[in-house]
Parts: sequence; C-alpha cells; structure tokens
Amino acid sequence: MIAATLILLLALPPLVWVAAMFDRIGAGRGTVVMGPLQNGAALVLRPNTETEAPDRLNRLLAPGWYLALALVGLSVVPLAEDVVASEISTGLVLWGACEALTVVVVFLHGWSPNAPLPLIGAYRYVAIALPAMLLSMFVLIGAALPAQSLSVVEVVEAQREIWNVIRQPLGLPLFMALGLAITLRGPFDYADGAELAGGTSAEESGPALALWHFARAAMLVAFSAMAATAFLGGYLGPVLPGPAWLLLKTLAVMAATVAAGRFFVRMPPARMLTFLWVVLLPLSFASLALVGVEVLP
Amino acid sequence: MAMNWLSALARGAEIPVFAVVGAQGLAPVEGLRHRPGLRLVDSPRHARVLLVAGAVDGAHKTALERLHAQIPTPRGTVWWQAAPLFARGQGVAGDDPLPAIRAAAGADDPDQRPDVPPHPWQGMGPHGQGGRGMMGGNPYGRPMAMTADDIRDGLALDVYNARFGPFLPMLPPGLVLDLTLQGDVIVSVSVVSPPFEQGMQGDAPDLCAARMLRLMGIAPRAARARGALLALPKGSGTRRRLAAWLRGQTVTERPSPLPEALPGLEWAEAVLWLASFLPSHLRAACMPRQAA
Repeated sequence: MIAATLILLLALPPLVWVAAMFDRIGAGRGTVVMGPLQNGAALVLRPNTETEAPDRLNRLLAPGWYLALALVGLSVVPLAEDVVASEISTGLVLWGACEALTVVVVFLHGWSPNAPLPLIGAYRYVAIALPAMLLSMFVLIGAALPAQSLSVVEVVEAQREIWNVIRQPLGLPLFMALGLAITLRGPFDYADGAELAGGTSAEESGPALALWHFARAAMLVAFSAMAATAFLGGYLGPVLPGPAWLLLKTLAVMAATVAAGRFFVRMPPARMLTFLWVVLLPLSFASLALVGVEVLP
Repeated sequence: MAMNWLSALARGAEIPVFAVVGAQGLAPVEGLRHRPGLRLVDSPRHARVLLVAGAVDGAHKTALERLHAQIPTPRGTVWWQAAPLFARGQGVAGDDPLPAIRAAAGADDPDQRPDVPPHPWQGMGPHGQGGRGMMGGNPYGRPMAMTADDIRDGLALDVYNARFGPFLPMLPPGLVLDLTLQGDVIVSVSVVSPPFEQGMQGDAPDLCAARMLRLMGIAPRAARARGALLALPKGSGTRRRLAAWLRGQTVTERPSPLPEALPGLEWAEAVLWLASFLPSHLRAACMPRQAA
C-alpha cells in the first residue's frame, strides 16, 4: 500500500508533463516536449497577484485542494493485482466524492478573488457540473454491477472475460463527459473559458496559477486512470506486466479526452444544461438499465 | 541555485502578451496569434507584456493605465502603430512587433498609477455604506448587492452593477457597457462608448468566424462539421450569421440597439451575439444618434 502510494506520487509529475504535451500537439505552438516545462518555470517566477478584499484562505487553498482531490481519486486505482494505494471496499464511492468536491473547489477558486468574471465562472460551473456528476454516478454504478461490488479492485477482476467498454458501450463516452467537466476542458469548460477571459483563473498569476494548471492536468491523469480501470480492464492484458497495461490505457484515454476537448464546441450554458438533463442523463439511465438486464441471472 | 535553474529553463518560454486592440488593430492582432515565441492571453494577470495595437482614444487613458497596473510586475509595454498615451514602454511603427515584444519581456516598467484605492472610502448611512438596511450602497465606489426583480422569473435576488470594457478580450474592442447583471443574466445595458473603427480588414468573414468560434472553445477548421452551428441557440440569428461567415459570405444584417437587444441574454449568449455582427455595423449601432 505504501509502495503503491510512492509509485503514484513519483509517476504523477511525469504524467502531468505528458498531459501538458498532449495539450500542445497540433496546437501550432512549437516545442511540444520542453514547452510545458519552460512555460511552467516562467509562470512560477512571476509574482502572485493581490485583488481587492479577497477570501485569502480559500484563494490560497483552492489549487491545493484540487490537486489533493486528484491524488485521492487516483489512489483508488489498482496498479496491478493486489497493488492499490487506497485498499477500500468502497473505492468507487471515494472517487465519486472526489468528483463532487471538485465542484466545490472550482467554485471556491472563482469565489475567492472577489471579482466579477471569476464569480460568474464559478456559478456557471456549479450549474453545469452538478448534472455531469449525476451522470457519472449512474455510469459508475453500471460499471460496478457486473462486479457486484463498489471496490475498484473487484470492478477490474470482473472484466477478466470481457471489458466493460464492450459490455456497456455507452459507459465510456458518457464518463468522458464527466472527465471534460472535472478537468475544465473544451465543451465543458464553463469555469475558465475564453468568453470569461479565463473565468475562475482570470485574476490569478504566478505560482498560484501554475499550481492550478498542474492540478488540472493531475485531475486529467486521475480521470484517465479511472476510466481505463472502470471500462478498459485496468491492469489486465496479455504479455506485458499489469502496470504497463494500465499506463498504456491511461495514456490512450488521456489522448482521447484532450482530442474531444478540442473537437467539440462549447454551447452557451443554458443550452448545455438542457442537453445534459434531457439527452445525456436519460442516456445514462438507459445505459444503467441495459447493464441491469445483462447481469440478470 | 534552484532559482538559477528555473530562470535558465524559463528563458525558452513563450512570452505571454495581453493585447489591447485599438482602432484598426483587430486584424494585425489576429495575425500575431500563431507567431511562435509569444502567446496571446485573455487576462492581463496572465501577461508579461502589454501590447497596445492600434490607436486608443485619449478618453480611455485611465482604463489603459488601470490595465497596465493589473499586469504583475515586472512588466513591459509595446505601442504598436499607436501613439503612447503615457510614458511607458516603446513604440513600434513597422509591421512586426515581435522584436519589441522580446525587448519588453526583459523590461520593468515602473507603476503608472499611484498605489491608492481608485475610489476613496465615503461613509454614508447607518452602516457606513449608504444603501438600505445592511444592503446596497456604494462603498469605495463599488456598488454593493441590492435585491431587484429578475426579468426572467421575477425572483427578487441580488443585482450586480458594473462597467465592462473597453479592453475585455471577449467584447468588441473599445466597447464600454454599463451592465446590470442578475447572476450572468443581463438585466439592463447602457452603452458608454462605441467600439473602435476596424476598417475593411476587421470585417473579413474568416476573421469574424475565428473570433466567434474562439469564444466557443474551438479552432475554425471544419467548424460546421463539428456542430458549431447546432451549438448556437435558434432564434437570435447567431447561428445564421456564423453559417454565412463559414461559407465566406459577408453578414449584412445590422444589430438592433444594444440596450434593447441584450437584456434577457446570459453572458455567453450576449458575448456571442455581439461577436456575430460585423465590427463596422456594431460600431454604427452604438454611435450616438445623429440629429436629423
């Protein structure tokens, strides 16, 4: 358990680097490999900004909370058979709690600088992220049903015969909508979008902004690992050792999420809210019902 | 030691530039967007260099000075084809501001505005803030929340009054609006000053489409196939106008006056609505009515 925690802590920074590289590929921004490190270093050397009458405590803590949630979420992912940092029987519930608390943290990040555009971003994000969370809960219950357990280890073991992505084809795409929402990306970036000049991050600079970007990428790593585990069989696979399979699948989900974030258009929030409640949530019910019928004895 | 190592790494970084778009500046700034070595950022807080592209009206001097103050120190300033409104940074008359931006990335402008509150404290009323009971009022020139009717559902919630512009990147450059907001719903609008003149180049369909799509989070490549039109609500005409631009046609529709058109729209819808008209038409719609 301690070994797994150490491996995760060591693996996270390079994976965040890879996530940042994915963000630059094809964006016409030059150096893909060193670019994120150079820009990150330049950002860390800039000063933090003061705003008028901020909520100092929450402003200081929000990026750290975000990173902490990414780490806790990542800790329930088994790296190989019997190697998992948080070995609890309710791993999926812990992951769900991290999702839900992400909404709170992003809200605090927008609330704390005491400025109009970050606050609008914060409120909008809560409105959109809530149905996105609900959706992911139904999808994850679907992933837990064949395993008859909320333990992430059991969810992986239940995929030995056939991966969930084949058994429940709607699960992974719907779960990716949540991934885009909790990593503030593309079509679900209602917190930090261009129409709000950076939204909840509009007033941040220096190390605080660098940490926010780092945490956002760390959340992408955590989400990708979780999606790979719940739908793509996690560490299961022939020939290669388990952790290598998990890494490959995580990178594949990460690339797909980044690509989806760039491909899809961000609707005005009211339209997205309707789309979530009227289209995506019923789809997630349908997915769960289908899984239920499948696992009937 | 660690700092030296970080500084060495940071030397190869892109220069984050906040572009203030002045008159005739829209097209040249769009051209900078894909230049390697710099990155145009949406917020002055994220910038190292302030680039003023195109002439800015002297009436906006204070706004520009405040923007300069919002860029974290050390900061540099470049005036590109613009007459300096204050004595900071250096001017560039030619077509390529990149060498000047690189130089400005090593500069350290002193503060332009004095470090004092823009609106000194003025105590009024029983709680010091003016207003009714413990709400409302205008301490430090910042209007406090006060309940007022929401125009959509009639719930009496807090309204927020503030001035937006003239350099917010999601609004047409130069446009200054006094808005009353309920959450992100616009309740009332008054135009304080119209957008800057952008000339023929600013009206180019591909540039207009790119600007609108950027607000929706995507690049213009194959935008139609990716559902860019379906993402826009029917009825407001934004979908129709974006479709025309994506076909390479010029939009001929003219906006109705902003104080009539914007109330009832949410922030994102209003911003897209404003971006869906030609800059020259929007400017005409915001100009004070000529006496007949």
